[in-house]
Amino acid sequence: MARVVIIGGGWAGCAAAITARKAGAEVVVLEKTDLLLGLGNVGGIMRNNGRFTAAEEIIALGAGELLAITDQVTRHKNINFPGHKHAFLYDVTKVEPLVRKKLAEMQVMVELETRAINVQKEGSWLKSIVLANGSAVEGDVFIETTGSTGPMGNCLRYGNGCSMCILRCPSYGPRVSISQRAGVEDLLGQRGDESYGAYSGSCKLAKNSLSKEIVEKLDREGVVIVPVPTEDVNVKKLAYKVCQQYALKEFAENIILLDTGYAKLMTSYYPLAKLREIPGFEFARYDDPYSGGKGNSIRYLSMAPRNNALKVEGLSNLLCAGEKAGLFVGHTEAIATGSLAGHNSVRLYLGMPLLELPRALALGDLIAFANEKIKTPEGLKNRYTFSGGQYFKQMIAQGLYTTDVETVKLRVERIGLTNIFAEKFL
Amino acid sequence: MKISDCIDAGTEYCPCSLAETGECIMCSQLQGKVFCDCTNWKGVCIYQEYIWNHSQRKENRQVYRCRISAKEAVSPAVTVFTIQVKRTLARELKEPGAYVFLRIPDYPTFFDLPMSIMSADERAGVIKIAVQERGVKTKYLLQREAGRREEQQREEVLLRGPYWNGILGLKYLKSFQKGKALVVVRGIGQAPALPVAKKLLQGGNEVEVLLDRGRIAVDFTGDLFRKMGCRVLEKQLLKREDLTITEETLAYLQDSLLNKGVGLIYGGGSDLLHQGLSRLIQEVERGAFFVCSNNAQLCCGEGICGSCQTRLADGSRVKRCKTQLAALNIYEGR
Ligand SMILES: Cc1cc2nc3c(=O)[nH]c(=O)nc-3n(C[C@H](O)[C@H](O)[C@H](O)COP(=O)(O)OP(=O)(O)OC[C@H]3O[C@@H](n4cnc5c(N)ncnc54)[C@H](O)[C@@H]3O)c2cc1C
Ligand code: FES
Repeated sequence: MARVVIIGGGWAGCAAAITARKAGAEVVVLEKTDLLLGLGNVGGIMRNNGRFTAAEEIIALGAGELLAITDQVTRHKNINFPGHKHAFLYDVTKVEPLVRKKLAEMQVMVELETRAINVQKEGSWLKSIVLANGSAVEGDVFIETTGSTGPMGNCLRYGNGCSMCILRCPSYGPRVSISQRAGVEDLLGQRGDESYGAYSGSCKLAKNSLSKEIVEKLDREGVVIVPVPTEDVNVKKLAYKVCQQYALKEFAENIILLDTGYAKLMTSYYPLAKLREIPGFEFARYDDPYSGGKGNSIRYLSMAPRNNALKVEGLSNLLCAGEKAGLFVGHTEAIATGSLAGHNSVRLYLGMPLLELPRALALGDLIAFANEKIKTPEGLKNRYTFSGGQYFKQMIAQGLYTTDVETVKLRVERIGLTNIFAEKFL
Repeated sequence: MKISDCIDAGTEYCPCSLAETGECIMCSQLQGKVFCDCTNWKGVCIYQEYIWNHSQRKENRQVYRCRISAKEAVSPAVTVFTIQVKRTLARELKEPGAYVFLRIPDYPTFFDLPMSIMSADERAGVIKIAVQERGVKTKYLLQREAGRREEQQREEVLLRGPYWNGILGLKYLKSFQKGKALVVVRGIGQAPALPVAKKLLQGGNEVEVLLDRGRIAVDFTGDLFRKMGCRVLEKQLLKREDLTITEETLAYLQDSLLNKGVGLIYGGGSDLLHQGLSRLIQEVERGAFFVCSNNAQLCCGEGICGSCQTRLADGSRVKRCKTQLAALNIYEGR
């Protein structure tokens, strides 16, 4: 039986676990913290702009489990905010236990508080993953989904220091790039000014630290927009952000709050004292990152070079997905790439040709587009997401963007890939 | 798997000069790279400590002027010093593997002599160190150079410390519990084995000591081991001709590993003894842990002078004064 070892239990890792399991593998997920979902515990925005199309493609391809969960715990449907249409906001305080339960039902083995630090390999084949406690986890095929956030040294060198984000490096130890350990050099994302990495683009305020009016409006409408005092407008900060889909002028001039269980504040960081000068924010405090008044996590310093089937170049049995696989931003992007990597892990085990999604689908197009771009200096400064920026424009231009569920189903059916991720090989 | 940690990582002496020169043993950011590659996390970010310390190393270890309250010649070759130190220092030196640098006042720093701690009493603020007369530095420390008379004996010593890397494989020693352990010691190696036995006993282990008087021809620790609760067997460990382990001892060790369930062996002797022990443990293949004294030529203890540098089987070089390795890594392939 194929044994697939997944390193990193974020959205990408969980999605990979599901499709690898469906294809018939025995699956182990190694996660350094005590929570699955990684950054998925602090995000929440789904189905905005092109992510709607992408979500429906994932479902039509046969990997709808995780989307069923996010849809189930959605607090607000079809909300609009500057630059973004028909967003769904899942409740980040409800989603993780449901994903954990789903993986348990599917008999995926999840090892929490288990940090991978190295590999053992023979030639170009990985044999096992070495854990921080010195033991080794053997496997036939490996999928790296360790994301690209932090760790502390990177957040310090390229940011304002550890801001105490959900990954909690001081408690669980730093992220380690497994592909780099296996001898494949990482690609580093850049900012407009060519320094490396980028700040995460949002922080979370404790909802009940805000005024009653704000909380009521958030509960009712999902969005609250408050103008920033003009002397505090900082347009420059936008260039440092990961989430270029939210790097719009409106986001510098306004405080945009979204209701994800927390009040999600759509800016990288905002000095607490300044924030508290704004009416309704007098008692504001951060819940994520805890030091959101000072900085945010730094991302995109550890992408592996890979092909469009998500196999890491130079290694025979390592696949990758999520932020590890390119300058991707987003839960939907992580689930999309994770699902493909999980499916391909079993094909790789069996010596079958790996699946590349055609560019007639938004998923296939994004994966190929990001891979073309990452090879150019300019491309390293961009991020790629269905929800905005350069790629959403391309999606519209290619006629890929649609909110019609039936159209998506038909497209997937026409290329003969309906339910491909549900296929069992073993 | 090769473990290589820095013994000082995360202590008040970290980051050190090696961070300032891009030679940190642990941190990729402090090795001239531009990203984290943190495989040996010790609970603190060394790069962060460094930046927060204004991109400077922490203060170096201090040199203390200490009184020698007793010198006991246990044999013509071996003298046990009792030295008075601050209680904090005594507490820091209670760990197995602890050592200090000693030197008679008014002598230049190249007389600094690394000396393992035999015992440390934090309440009384004293440490004991056994000194075997060997070369230039030990002779000066024992004040046996030509022309020095008995009444000129100095009662003070300069002490630099604390240092901790006197034992390789510390993590096995510290985590081994409720098992059976063998402490195999020869000659002056008896002294630093006392804190080792103590640690093993604290872990609820049964401890047997195989003791060879060796070149110093004295058993000055047997009673101390017994008092702690160890079983002590005097044995000739090495053959006179080629200093390899005797057949009788090999057979005894083999039986201990195979039939008596010994799960950890500590070697406190020469490299030849350690080599023999490590080979045996690997041949027997029962997964027993090997821990041993760090026999490197220590000189500065700070990773600066390079005198302790050793090449491992995989071609990498390690500074053994600061690098905490599994003992098998040192002796494999030799
Ligand atoms: C504050 C914030 C808000 C966001 N909001 C949204 C949003 O609203 N909508 C949206 O679509 N996207 C959002 N994003 C982006 C999105 O969350 C990420 O792009 C996506 O979740 C990445 O998933 P991933 O699985 O690739 O990586 P991660 O979520 O980073 O998962 C990686 C996992 O690997 C683990 N790991 C790392 N190293 C090791 C190791 N050595 N051993 C074992 N485990 C290891 C980590 O602990 C982590 O759980 C947000 C991001 C942030 C930071
Ligand atoms: S003793 Fe000087 S470098 Fe190790």
